[in-house]
Amino acid sequence: MKRRGNRKKRIEALTAYGFLLPNLVGLTVFVFVPMVYAFYVSLNDWNLLTPKVFIGFDNYIQMSHDKDWWQAVGRTFKFTIIYVPSLFCLSLFFAAVCNSLSQRVENVTRTLFLLPFAITSVISAAIWMFLYDPKDGIINQFLNLVGIDAQQFLGSTSQAMISIIVVVIWINLGYNMMIFLASMKEIPGEFYEAAKIDGATGWKAFQHITFPLLRETSVFILVVTTIGSFQVFDQIMVMTKGGPANSTQVGVLYIYHQAFEVLNMGYASALSVVLFLIIFILSLVQLRLTAKKD
Amino acid sequence: MKFWKSFVVMAMALTLILGGCSSSKSNGEAKDGGKVTVTFWDNHIDAEQKYLKDLVNEYNKSQDKVKVVYKGFNANDYMTTKLPVAFANNEGPDVFMISPGDFTKYANAGIMADLNPYFPDGAKADFQEAAINAVTIDNKVLALPFESELVGLYYNKKMLADAGVEVPKTWDELQAAAKKLTTDKVSGIVLPQEKDAYLNFIWYPFLWQQGGNVISEDGKKSNFNSPEVVKALDFWGSFFQKGYAPAKTPFGSSDIGNLGTGKTAMQVSGTWAISAIESKYSNMDIGLAPLPVSEGGQAKTVAGGWKLAANAHGKHVKEASDFIMWAFAEDPSRPLKWATEVKFAYPARNSVIEAGEEIYNKGLRKVFTDEMYDTLTPEPFYGPEIVDVVGDSLQKVMFSKAKGSDVVKEADQKIQDALDKQ
Repeated sequence: MKRRGNRKKRIEALTAYGFLLPNLVGLTVFVFVPMVYAFYVSLNDWNLLTPKVFIGFDNYIQMSHDKDWWQAVGRTFKFTIIYVPSLFCLSLFFAAVCNSLSQRVENVTRTLFLLPFAITSVISAAIWMFLYDPKDGIINQFLNLVGIDAQQFLGSTSQAMISIIVVVIWINLGYNMMIFLASMKEIPGEFYEAAKIDGATGWKAFQHITFPLLRETSVFILVVTTIGSFQVFDQIMVMTKGGPANSTQVGVLYIYHQAFEVLNMGYASALSVVLFLIIFILSLVQLRLTAKKD
Repeated sequence: MKFWKSFVVMAMALTLILGGCSSSKSNGEAKDGGKVTVTFWDNHIDAEQKYLKDLVNEYNKSQDKVKVVYKGFNANDYMTTKLPVAFANNEGPDVFMISPGDFTKYANAGIMADLNPYFPDGAKADFQEAAINAVTIDNKVLALPFESELVGLYYNKKMLADAGVEVPKTWDELQAAAKKLTTDKVSGIVLPQEKDAYLNFIWYPFLWQQGGNVISEDGKKSNFNSPEVVKALDFWGSFFQKGYAPAKTPFGSSDIGNLGTGKTAMQVSGTWAISAIESKYSNMDIGLAPLPVSEGGQAKTVAGGWKLAANAHGKHVKEASDFIMWAFAEDPSRPLKWATEVKFAYPARNSVIEAGEEIYNKGLRKVFTDEMYDTLTPEPFYGPEIVDVVGDSLQKVMFSKAKGSDVVKEADQKIQDALDKQ
């Protein structure tokens, strides 16, 4: 009897691996091998057009005093520090609001919030460029109505980054809200009933029941959006290409610039390795900080 | 049993996935009925792409030894990712379009074949000297020039007349005009905004007018820390700092749509704009004038244009070069059609310009022909690091409220470093 059970387990495990195999092969070919190769390239001077020249850690030394790179990394952090908390709070807020609506209204609201996520990011970036247009844009027309001067938005070094963050939040809000909403639905109603008897409703119930029970979801969203914010690329590429005056040139854009515009592929690979390490460490710290106390 | 069934299904799925990945490899080596296949990569679109495709078809029909295969790419990806990555994998095309901004990179890498041996008899002498010199390095002609695109000042005649503004001829007049023409809805002048080779391209003539340049004539020393550069930077930056030139435009900054749809009163743009003005924006009364000149300076414009190159590492350098010569160095009717019907530009050959004399005097083209053609300087082929430094300097005076004198010193050092490395 016992042997049979073991055999069954083994077969189950093998089947599971069988199903995972295509994914693992894909990951190996398209993720792990390129990652190792990128590290190898980072030890070379390579412009794609001529053969690689091995230069050891020279690229990393050059990076340590590349002002433009560290400024770009600084901009990435700025983006993350504004974007992640805003997106987190907004999606949590709207999820709570949605959760309190009647089922039919909730369905419609949910769909509306998710719509931007369904649009190709390049297209939504293009749409927002029209809205942000300094002369014809609808946002400035609205501002004029309420007596505020026309703003430059994407054309201003001080406003471009915020303008982009708004767009990226607009795109991702619905998706994160859905995840929060799904976890909220899983919280048993009895908890709230019990709280009601104790006199805890509204904000109190949210504070003591909903939010603590959303812990796992919150951690997931925080980690994923932080990683995402370090990788933001396409919206910036479309809306400002890193300008004006490099004010929106985040880390990934600088890597792209070095790799494909200046053709410093070795140097760009070294930058990628460092950016990868930064994201890796940051995710570890986040997981550690938010890990369950017990 | 169940396990083996699922295993077989997985294995089949995997085979399909991997099979799908591996079947796409082809690099133009295949023989087609004894013919040599030459690949030709390009970034043009619309009418220009159609013309090049037709050209390829005509060539393929005209002989039975070589088959040229045309492949078009999105302009944004072409020079940045597609072409360099293909060359990195030794899968570069036999014939390819190359932009002046990237010429030096490819020249230094030895990727472009010397075209000298393939010119038909006497054909090389027909090309303008400046055009051939621009693509010649160590006596090797590394690409074939077939067009020169000039830059001028386009303006909306009605807007200027309504505001009582004369067509500006000097820097001061241009600034005064831009100021007067700027309203809530219309910008005074559109200049390129984003940092790229095009921004530098449009700015260079304003530097050259005063006799300045980015690097010395022998190409060894940076001249960036000079009064001419400071003046040209400040002049350019003032349009953005004072709000006469928009930081963002609904159309791309090289697109004459900004002027054609009445969003701006003036726009610095090139010969390529003429066909759009005549077809799409014919209802708008648009004028053209040479670029305004600095005080005591000399009229200058810049001439750019893509070139055709053959892959020096390819298997079919001769066949590739022969095709390039057939297309643009033999029968003048082919380059003439390109430069007059398909688009508007100046061909690089004297015989072609003579053959198209009538067209070069038509409408706005006459302004380019009579008032600007003699003042052209070919776009310089600086390496990517230098293009980058010049672009950064411009961005600073445009958007960071910097003065030219604040930025030239650091930029000068960076340019010198890049030159010393070469």
